[in-house]
This record gives sequence, C-alpha cells and structure tokens, in this order.
Amino acid sequence: MSAQRSGRTAVTGIGVVAPNGLRTDAYWKSVREGVSVLDRITRDGCGHLPLRVAGEVRGFDASAFIEETFLVQTDRFSHFAMAAAGAALDDAGLSGKAAGSPYSVGVVTAAGSGGGEFGQRELQKLWGQGSRYVGPYQSIAWFYAASTGQISIRGGFKGPCGVVASDEAGGLDAVAHAGRAVRRGTDVVVVGAAEAPLAPYSMVCQLGYPELSTAEDPAVAYRPFTSRARGFVPAEGGAVLVVEDADRARRRGTAIRATVAGHAATFTGASRWDRSREGLARAIQGALDEAGCAPEEIDVVFADALGTPEADRAEALALTDALGPHGTRVPVTAPKAGFGRAYCGGPLLDIAAAVLAMEHGQVPPTPGVFDICHDIDLVTTRARPAELRTALILSRGLMGSNAALVLRQGEQA
Amino acid sequence: MSNTELTVQELSALMKKAAGVTVDPQDLTARVDTPFAEFGVDSLGLLGIVGELENRHGRALPTDAERCKTPRDFLDLVNGALTTGG
Repeated sequence: MSAQRSGRTAVTGIGVVAPNGLRTDAYWKSVREGVSVLDRITRDGCGHLPLRVAGEVRGFDASAFIEETFLVQTDRFSHFAMAAAGAALDDAGLSGKAAGSPYSVGVVTAAGSGGGEFGQRELQKLWGQGSRYVGPYQSIAWFYAASTGQISIRGGFKGPCGVVASDEAGGLDAVAHAGRAVRRGTDVVVVGAAEAPLAPYSMVCQLGYPELSTAEDPAVAYRPFTSRARGFVPAEGGAVLVVEDADRARRRGTAIRATVAGHAATFTGASRWDRSREGLARAIQGALDEAGCAPEEIDVVFADALGTPEADRAEALALTDALGPHGTRVPVTAPKAGFGRAYCGGPLLDIAAAVLAMEHGQVPPTPGVFDICHDIDLVTTRARPAELRTALILSRGLMGSNAALVLRQGEQA
Repeated sequence: MSNTELTVQELSALMKKAAGVTVDPQDLTARVDTPFAEFGVDSLGLLGIVGELENRHGRALPTDAERCKTPRDFLDLVNGALTTGG
C-alpha cells in the first residue's frame, strides 16, 4: 500500500467551460455578479425549432485547447470536457506529468446524451450517401463514455475509469464514485461532466420534455422559485475536478480547495416532481449522515431549481423536511438561472460555484429572480457575504434521479 | 474512376483530413518508413483513410490496407492494388 491516507476526498483542481465563462475565474466573476447570459439560440440548423432560449458557450475555440488529432475524432461535448480537464489538472499542479504511475490516475465523467452533433453528421452521411461514407470515429465519438476515454488517452491516465449515466444528478454521483476510487487507493481521479445539447438532433430529443421552457424572451424563459416559473432552459458546458486523498494533497503541498464530505442518491420516477420531495429529502439526509453533518451546519444550498411550480415546491419542501426549521433560514441560491441547465454538467458547475463561494465568503445570487413564492431564503440581486464552511448541492434529473452532495471548506497549502 | 497512383502528397492530405495529423509531404517522404502510430495516426484514422480512398476510386482496397504499419507499406499496397486493376 502507498502512504497513509485520510480517507477524505479533497478537491485540488477545478476547470470550467460555461456559457458565462470559458475559464474558472471568468465563471466565478459572472456567477458572483449574477450576470444572465441566457439568449436566443444561434447555433447552425436550430433556428426553426420551437426551443428558442438557452445558455450557449460562445467564443470557445477548441483548437486553442486541444490537439487536432483529438478534435477530428470527438464531439463538442468532449471538447468541453477535455478543455475543462486540462484546466483542472493545471489548477491542481498536475499538468504535463503523470503523478507517479499512470495507473494511479483515473477518470470518471457523467453524461446525459453523448455527442449528438457528431452523431447526427455521420448519420446524415449514412442515410444521404451510404454506409461507406460514415467515418470510423462515429464508433466512439457519440457515446456517453467518449469524454472519459479521450481524457484518459490524452493524459495517459490508466487508473480506474468509468462513466456514470444516471441522469442529470449523475453529475453528483460521479463525484461520489470518484471519491470511492480514491478511498480504494487510486491517487488521483479526474472527474466531471460537460454537455453539448444545442444541435438540431439533440434539441429535437429535448422537445418532448414537458419541463422545457419554450419561451421566446430570454428575460423570462427560466425563472425558478417564482410564480412565473415556466420550465428550464438547457445549457452547454460543464466542469471537471481533480480529486485526491486529503493527506496526499497535503504531502505534495497543494491547496485543498474543498473536501467531499457526503453524498446520497435516490430515484422517484420520471417527471414525478411531487415524489421528488421525498426523494430529495432522503438524499439530503443520506448525504448529511455520511458527512457527519448536522442540518444547522449547512451554510448554503445550491438548489436544483428546475423551474416548474411543482418541482420548485417539492424542492423547497424537501429542504424543510430534511433540515427542519433551518431549511427556511439557510441561504439558497441557483446561479444556473443565469446560464441554464447543462444536464450532467449542471451539478458540476454548481460544485465549482460552491467551492468558489466558500473560498470568497460570498453566496452568489440567483439571476433574474425577484418574486419568490416559496418559503426559502433565496439569495437574489447581489452576492451576500457570509462565512461558508459547509455547502449542500442538490440535483434532480428529468428521468427521476435525485442526489445531494455535502462539501466542506478547504484549507491553504 | 481513375487508376492513378496515390502520391505522398495525397496521403499527407488524407492524414490531415481523416486523422487530424499534419505532416508536410516532404517530411512524409523522408520518414516514409516511420510507423503511422508515431505520426499520431491510430488504427481508426487509417481506416478512415482507406474508406476515403475506396469512395474516391469506387472500389474496395485489400483488407490488409488498414493494417499497414508505415506509409511506405501503405503506398506500396494501395498502388499495387490500384494499378493492377485487381
């Protein structure tokens, strides 16, 4: 066995590619200021579809981050993931060098839909020109596991690898999975999720979701926890973390940005938002139990904020069910109201925001939301200064998964 | 379609298109015995090159084509097949 381990999973690197920031620092600035970047969808071939507003990642030049040999064989969702992974490894001080054996580094991603744009292009060749015109990289580029595979190949990482396909909340489940790999002895796990759901085929796949907001006006399209909640808007992008054992991080002298203290997940059925109240409450209780955390210790909640009246009500009630009276007093926020829900990437972006919020002692606001109609202390308008030691991150998926994750404040190197 | 030989220039362009590998034709000529893998062309990349050539010439290439290790092996095999008309 290697050197002594604490059994605590430390976050030592963060990489973000989001609609409101192509780098972690730009993302935090937008989140802290409560900037909304929701806008009309401009991507090619999407103009005729009845989904109008989303959070697009604009100005992202994949070739600035990723070698062409990787670009030709990957979809946009993997481009985001590889760029974010590179940034996270840089942040952790692990870029360009395998930390010991290549088998000591693993990769886990969560994925909600895979590489829809790449897949559509090749399927159009299949039906338009014939099977001989389908490129061989179709065999890998559009699968859920593509980003895990490409991050591991690109970095030379041969440790435990996997992909979690458990709905949007899988973004939190993936981080818990990475934590288990670390506890079992893997030195470092690169874990995250990024999605690219704004392409014609991918968008058509979403049109059947009753929770999707098809509003034309970006200012009103996604207003969770208000009486005018009318659904959610999708987003591109996501975030990747580097996690490792806390003692290992201390030994190599790197800052522990946060620790992953607890997680739990439940399942309550697709679009059964009334039932998600109990599912979410039980996930919160499970995460608190694993973290050894009392409800009153939670200093901030990053809400799932689906944005339909029924789902928002269930989440607000779940907070009180699980946290008691503290559930109506703890500051709650939903930065994603300003840039959309990036499916599995969404919970990772919330984790990134929560770590940054704890580091800066500020609860970021929920953009564009003023008229709250639930009994929660939703932070709006501007960031609220607060000492934040413990954060709770919630996520639900359209297919019925619920998950909760408890993060604890980090420590300097 | 034509039976013209595959040149190093064309192979260089195909490596760029199918596998994202940029190699100057002169450099490729000089390193014609260097394995494809060292240029960054993996097995799927070579398969893509074979598919592109088959579509261009409207005929199948020998199955060994996608298993060639070096540009020289590949050029010899492909040009042998294309020029014999077999």
